[in-house]
Amino acid sequence: MDNGMDSSILDTYLFETNSLLDRLDEMLVDDEKVGDFSSDDVNEIFRIMHTIKGSSAMMEFAAIASVAHHIEDLFFYIRDKGIDSLSSQHKKELFNLMFRSEDCLRGQVEKVEKGEPLDTDMDEFAAEINRFLKTVSGSGEEAPAGQAGSQADKPAEESPAASVSPSIPDNLPQDQKAVCFIHVFLEEGIGMENLRAYMIVNAVKECDLNFRYYPEGMESDSSTTAAIIEDGFYMAFETMEAASKASDILRTQGHIRSFEVVEVSEPEPEPAPVSAKPAENASPEAASAPAKPVPKPSVPAKQTTNAPVKQNLISVSLMKLDSLQNLVGEIVITESMVTSSPELNQLSRDAYDNFMKSARQLRKLTDDLQDISMSLRMVPISGVFQKMSRIVRDMKQKLNKDVRLTLIGEDTEIDKTIVDSIQDPIMHMVRNAVDHGIEDNPQDRINAGKNAQGEVILSASHTSSEVIISITDDGAGMDPEKLLAKARDRGLLVKPENEYSKKEILGFIMLPGFSTNQEVTEFSGRGVGMDVVKKNIESVGGVVSVSSELGKGSTFTMNIPLTMAIVDGMRVTVGRSIFIIPIANIRQSFKIAPEEILHDENGCEMVERLGSFYPVVRLHQFYGIETDIDTLDAGVLMWVEASDRSFCIFVDELVGEQQAVVKPLPAYLNCFDLKNSGIAGCTIMGDGNISMILDIPSLHSAALENV
Amino acid sequence: MSEQVNTQEVLDLDMEETDDNSTIERCLTFDSGDLILYISTKYVIEIINNHSITTLPLMPPYIKGVINLRGQVLPVVDIKLRMGNGETDYSCQQDSADERRPCIIVLDINSISLGIIVDSVRQVIDIDMKNVRPIPLKRQQKLLNGMVNMEDGSVYMSIDCESLSFAEL
Repeated sequence: MDNGMDSSILDTYLFETNSLLDRLDEMLVDDEKVGDFSSDDVNEIFRIMHTIKGSSAMMEFAAIASVAHHIEDLFFYIRDKGIDSLSSQHKKELFNLMFRSEDCLRGQVEKVEKGEPLDTDMDEFAAEINRFLKTVSGSGEEAPAGQAGSQADKPAEESPAASVSPSIPDNLPQDQKAVCFIHVFLEEGIGMENLRAYMIVNAVKECDLNFRYYPEGMESDSSTTAAIIEDGFYMAFETMEAASKASDILRTQGHIRSFEVVEVSEPEPEPAPVSAKPAENASPEAASAPAKPVPKPSVPAKQTTNAPVKQNLISVSLMKLDSLQNLVGEIVITESMVTSSPELNQLSRDAYDNFMKSARQLRKLTDDLQDISMSLRMVPISGVFQKMSRIVRDMKQKLNKDVRLTLIGEDTEIDKTIVDSIQDPIMHMVRNAVDHGIEDNPQDRINAGKNAQGEVILSASHTSSEVIISITDDGAGMDPEKLLAKARDRGLLVKPENEYSKKEILGFIMLPGFSTNQEVTEFSGRGVGMDVVKKNIESVGGVVSVSSELGKGSTFTMNIPLTMAIVDGMRVTVGRSIFIIPIANIRQSFKIAPEEILHDENGCEMVERLGSFYPVVRLHQFYGIETDIDTLDAGVLMWVEASDRSFCIFVDELVGEQQAVVKPLPAYLNCFDLKNSGIAGCTIMGDGNISMILDIPSLHSAALENV
Repeated sequence: MSEQVNTQEVLDLDMEETDDNSTIERCLTFDSGDLILYISTKYVIEIINNHSITTLPLMPPYIKGVINLRGQVLPVVDIKLRMGNGETDYSCQQDSADERRPCIIVLDINSISLGIIVDSVRQVIDIDMKNVRPIPLKRQQKLLNGMVNMEDGSVYMSIDCESLSFAEL
């Protein structure tokens, strides 16, 4: 299918549809926990489907539009009847149906994303929704079944008090009591005009206005559709106040092309039918009639109908945020360039004080600006977590396991780019936990003294520099013996078996190809794709670790840097180069006397701190930087550590603390792989110079492990 | 190692250029050592002077380091060293970085940004791509990909931006 459409429209469509589906998912999962839909949610689902239908139809994605359309009908009915009219059995079916519909829609949307042709035949699914609608409407107390096509059937609830003959849509309807008509024209080609009209009528009715509408019974009689398309529909009011209130409401409604208020000069039975008036010059002879077609604002209808939710959010392209952040970074740098400029010393004392006062003010403002621009990129992780609820729900049904997912710390915020790259790993691990972590047989759990219902805990929390996400299950855990045996089979062992620590054994599951099992045994599959998980996490600078207690469950922990954008560090110099060491990694800085240095048989230097020995990395040697300070007692030793690696870095001088905005090294230099040589990135300092940010773990592996 | 390039290649080059309606391209010319080089202005962002270069460790000699160009970190390549014939008369290496204030042309080649150090910038001229001939030498490190005779008898060489935009180990 070649949709020759503007890609930005498509982007907007995809973004909007996906976020609507996300919202739908969230609601469904929440509601299912309670086992009931709240009426707000019913309304919102209706709105969501309505929006999806509208925008999909606009984009000519007929399959999506048709499914959304049928769900919309269904919820139109439910909204009308009230959710309580459904039996609990029906509700259960409804949940399943809705989850499947959501998947179906998502599947189609994904196809759109990939540019694949959509399924053309959605009839079967649509029919299923219709069948359900029929079932539930059949059981409703008052409503007769009879679903004709897409229409939600409903007896005309208001029989007009006035004995009016059914109006001919061409003319002003005959209504003796009415002093004022509102003539509404719908937008062209929106489909199901009679229902739309009825929705509008309902919206006005909700505001306690008493009026009649024509053609009567349009909600149940699809033959009125043609008339409504042709000539709009009428609402008849008995007072002018009601009419003016109604026109206020109409302005907020979607799908209205225009409407006009037609005043009847005297409430007489003959409202002077103007024969076959075309829509535009419909001004009646009543001279005072303010014919005011209200031009519909040019926003697409989908936005107006969606108004009640998320009005205070806008979507911004990441690129704009990136450039904002860069700009703010530059402002901060330029600011310190100005405030530290040597010319200031020539100012008189008073003038200098004044200047510094203003400078401090500016400083505060730029700090705030920086914080805000950072926070713009941060999004709560709840979106990712929510998807996991859904996955667990589906797996629960498929595997017939009783598992509950507990979410902790959903509101933890994390950089948007990182969120995107951790979603798949988290999903993978949650799947693993449910599939392989939790015991298949509840009896096993009871025998082991555990609750019959398995639990998977997905938690997120902050430290100052990291987000820690952990996935814990209280299942069977992993058996190190079996893992080791399997590693042996696969030829992954590189040293004698008895030298492997438990941690190392558990680490096997992250090795590529460890678990390409043919059959599922009690612990197999646990490593499927774990190497991919590890790689994904590492690509955003994170670390994955596993711990497992046989019989008690396993925990996968991911430590991910909060944002790669800012680092608190200490500034050190080596020769002419300046390095930043992240403060999180620093344990101590100290000077030593020459006699404290120890050497191993290769001449590698070590020092003793607090009873342990640590290797020394001379930064100037490792990086080949010329410096005058080449004896250990002349410079400074920085004792650093990162997870389990601890060592000392020898530098010339410790200059001071520095908050550094991390910039990646230029793409041009990628092939030199500085990241694996201990340089994580660079930063621009107040004076405009560039310094390099050290990555302690990779410095350790580069300088000490491969020697 | 030198060998004559056969005429077919020359023809191909001509064909390629004539496909485009206009074969005239604006080019920036500059000196590097004994050579006069040119590069299409569509790659040139700006020319800067007096930027101090921060050296990076573990880099081949031709990558002089990075500069801070209004908040953007830009790698700087010494074009002469990159061509593999820099050591002779280029005095930069002995100088301390403070005194080294070379002329840097900032380029953006297929959204890879980098600066190249040159001796001096000459001017912007129009070069008819029809007149560009391939360099009749095959070398392993190929950074120049064309030469053109100017009216005053001098020969300008064109830099192969593609190969410039990839760093070599």
